[in-house]
Amino acid sequence: MTVLIRETDYRAVENLIYEWARAIDENRVEDVAALLTGDGEYKVASRFNTDRNLPLAVIHCTSPAQLRDRIKSMRVANVYEPHHYRHMISGVQIIGEENGVLEVRSNYTVIRIMDHDGSSMIFSTGQCRDQVVVDGAGPRFKQRHIIYDSRAIETLLVIPL
Amino acid sequence: MNAPEKAPAAYAWPEEGYTRVPYWVFNDPEIYAREQTSIFRGKAWHYLGLEAEIPEAGNYKTTFVGELPVIVTRAEDGSVHAMLNRCAHRGNMVCREAFGKAKELYCVYHAWIYNLKGDLTAAAFRKGLKGVGGLPPDFQLAEHGLKTLRVAVFHGVVFGTFSKEVAPFEEWVGAVGEGMRRVLKGPLKVLGYDTQRIRANWKSYHENPRDAYHANILHTFYGTFGLSRQSQESRMVLDDAGRHVYFYTKAGTEQSSSDYKDTTSTLRSHNDAYTLEDRSLLKRVDEFGDGVSIQILTLYPGFVMHQISNSLATRQLIPRGPHEADLVWTYFGYADDSEEMTRMRLAQANLAGSAGIVSVEDAAVCEMIDRAIGDAQEGESFIEMGGKTLTSGGDTKLSERALRNFWNVYRQDMGL
Repeated sequence: MTVLIRETDYRAVENLIYEWARAIDENRVEDVAALLTGDGEYKVASRFNTDRNLPLAVIHCTSPAQLRDRIKSMRVANVYEPHHYRHMISGVQIIGEENGVLEVRSNYTVIRIMDHDGSSMIFSTGQCRDQVVVDGAGPRFKQRHIIYDSRAIETLLVIPL
Repeated sequence: MNAPEKAPAAYAWPEEGYTRVPYWVFNDPEIYAREQTSIFRGKAWHYLGLEAEIPEAGNYKTTFVGELPVIVTRAEDGSVHAMLNRCAHRGNMVCREAFGKAKELYCVYHAWIYNLKGDLTAAAFRKGLKGVGGLPPDFQLAEHGLKTLRVAVFHGVVFGTFSKEVAPFEEWVGAVGEGMRRVLKGPLKVLGYDTQRIRANWKSYHENPRDAYHANILHTFYGTFGLSRQSQESRMVLDDAGRHVYFYTKAGTEQSSSDYKDTTSTLRSHNDAYTLEDRSLLKRVDEFGDGVSIQILTLYPGFVMHQISNSLATRQLIPRGPHEADLVWTYFGYADDSEEMTRMRLAQANLAGSAGIVSVEDAAVCEMIDRAIGDAQEGESFIEMGGKTLTSGGDTKLSERALRNFWNVYRQDMGL
């Protein structure tokens, strides 16, 4: 199937995906919630579950408010060793459009760097299955589903991917 | 200059006994190897899975008991079986998938074929070709089946053991079986898996859910939102041998006291700045009709079953060396759950697990312990909350009684 997508849409979508990653990598995690539409959904689920039609997600926020709550929990409630991420994004493709919502795929690699001992490792890889709205308010995610490749999560997932 | 210290006697446990745990048990490769023999292949039952994972004849799943790979099957007659996932011929892994369906178990290396109960039914070119080659005339298929485990199915949960001596499961689990029966009230439905790889000794994690003392101190969410507080009605239950434990809390049963107020004002976990914009995560249904908001149940040596509001899951602890363990969470509901109930369970899956808002802390603490013990040639933990004996502390959650009992059983099994 060939989908004719305007070049400007591509630029807007890529920029949105990069904004999300950069906000997290620059420790401005709170900023990502504003990249969701008002009814936007953010979900992180394993490929293992997804391939088997099992509905469990390790993170499932059905509103920007729930994502903000999770990020607040990360800031004030959760205990973990200090670390940060570096996102590598590739293969951004718009694979369809329906009623003004773009269906987008991209790949990510997240490297986790531990502040204390300096160790870094590939923490997570996977595919982002996004629905993006491009309108007057700027591009935003109506849906951001992150399907991580390995069934195992190293230690814990507290900073969103 | 002082003379160098003499090396401590190998594996001498501190004289105080089970109120102290020498850190070398979390670090030593020989201890780890002995655990595989004396605990994981010793007199204990191990979680293998849920019946709901192998609903039909021919369904199988693969898992581990200690370091050993195991296949769990449902045979044509509906019975559940478990066997070592290692061909009796040359040791190749027979099943490679996490889950599957098969009429027989086929080893790809030399086409040795087993039925769903683990009996060898064929070995390729067993009689040779044209009278040449083949296995010796005295070869008996019946003597070369997969090594099988004893299996117990308890209200839909499958346990297995390599031990011929360990007591039947119901007897072994004792009074803690009551906590399992409470949750396992009907046919189950699997909602999904979450595997958490923790870079710490398996026993660090095993201690964690036995330790009711930490729950409302480390985990801010519980206290702040009243899901579990020390001031609420709660209880801890152990079996007679002290191998297993569960504790529960009933939210909304606060009993105020001045010493509780004085203590909580100093706790990091009681955080007035922590509020939720969307409180739907706190909604819960009293589905068991007993007001229990949280029940955490731990079986020796590597099984946990939790009820956190309406989130239900098993956790299987799989050791992967002295400094690594996988914690496999299997979330479930009941086969007859409404769509709304399933949505609620899935929403509450945000609370626990690898990315749990409530409890990501646990894995962090295990790993911090792993690093803090360093080379582990000196030092020991101190476990006297609630007293110094196996019974002291009674059924209060403010006690490390279940930890003392664990180390007591561990030392017996390990001959330490």
